[in-house]
Amino acid sequence: MPDWKQIVRKNLRVLGACSPEFTEELAAHLEDSYESLLREGLTAETAFRRTMRQIEGRRRDWLAIRFLQEALMTGFIPKVALPGLLTSAAACSLHWVLALGHIPPNVLWLVGGQLPLWWWCLLPICGALGALLSQRQGGSRLQRMAASLLPSAILCTLVLMIFVAGFTISGFVNHYQLVSVRLEALGIVPPGFGLIPAVFSLLGAGIAEVSTRKFRRLA
Amino acid sequence: MASVNAQIKRGSAELAVLTLLAQHPLHGYEIAKQIEAQTGGALRFDMASLYPMLHRLERKNWVKAEWQTLPNGRRRRCYRLTASGRKQIAPLREQWRAFFQALQSVTGFQNA
Repeated sequence: MPDWKQIVRKNLRVLGACSPEFTEELAAHLEDSYESLLREGLTAETAFRRTMRQIEGRRRDWLAIRFLQEALMTGFIPKVALPGLLTSAAACSLHWVLALGHIPPNVLWLVGGQLPLWWWCLLPICGALGALLSQRQGGSRLQRMAASLLPSAILCTLVLMIFVAGFTISGFVNHYQLVSVRLEALGIVPPGFGLIPAVFSLLGAGIAEVSTRKFRRLA
Repeated sequence: MASVNAQIKRGSAELAVLTLLAQHPLHGYEIAKQIEAQTGGALRFDMASLYPMLHRLERKNWVKAEWQTLPNGRRRRCYRLTASGRKQIAPLREQWRAFFQALQSVTGFQNA
C-alpha cells in the first residue's frame, strides 16, 4: 500500500505552510480512491497511476492555490487582518518616530530618489510582531507570514493607487516633465515602500518563528 | 447524462452537499462518490473543488467536521450538518426552484 501522506507531502509541499489536517485529509481521499479502483478490478499499478492523476500537473497547481486560499481565509480577521493592521500601525509609527526624532529616515540615495534605510532596518521588529500576534490567535505559518506582510501590501497598494491617480492627472495636464518624474519615481517608491519592506518584515517573521521554536524546545 | 456547465455546478454544489449531509454524516470521499452516483455522473467533484467548499461551509458554521477512527483503524474527517446548516437548505432549495421556474418560463423547458 503506497504511503499517501508521504506522497501528498512530496507533491504538495506548499500544504506544509497550511494546516497539517489538509495533508491528512487529502491523503485519506487518495487512499479511498486507490482502494475503490482496486475493488473495480484494476491492477495496483494502473490504480496508482489513475489515483495520482488527481494531484498531478494543473490539478496539483489548482489544488495548491485553492488550499492556500482556504488556509488564509480561515479565521482571517483574528489571525491575519487584526495582527496585520497592528503591524501596519507599528510600521507607520516607527517611520513617524524616526522623522520626529530627527533621525533622517531617508539616507540612501538611489537614481535621484531617497529610500528609508533606517526604517527598513527596524521593520523586522514589526514583521516579528505581526507573526507573533497571529501565532497567539492560532494562525498557521501561512497566516503568520501574511500578517507580517500586510503593511507592505497595504503600502504597495496605496502607492500604486496614488501613481495611477497621478498618471491620470498628468494625462489631463499633458505635461511631459511631470510624466517623466512620475515614471522615474515609479521605479523607486514601490520597491522602497513595498517590496524591500516586505523582505525585511518577512525576515522578522522568520526570526520570530525560529526563536519561538527554540523557546518551545527549551521549555 | 449531459454534462453541466461549471457555473451552475458551483452554485448547486453547496445545496447538493448540504442535502446529502442532512441524511447522515459523511467524509469527503463518500460525499464525492455519493453525489456522482446519485446524479449519474453529471455532478462530479475533484479534490480542488470539494475540500475548499467543505472548509468554506465549515467556516460558515453550516457543517462541522471531526476526525473519526473507522473500524479498520483509519482516521477520516467526517462532516455533519449543523442546525444552522439545516436552516439553509430550505432557502437554497427555494432559490433553485425560482431559478428553474424562471428558466422554464423563458425556454419552455419542462421537468421530466
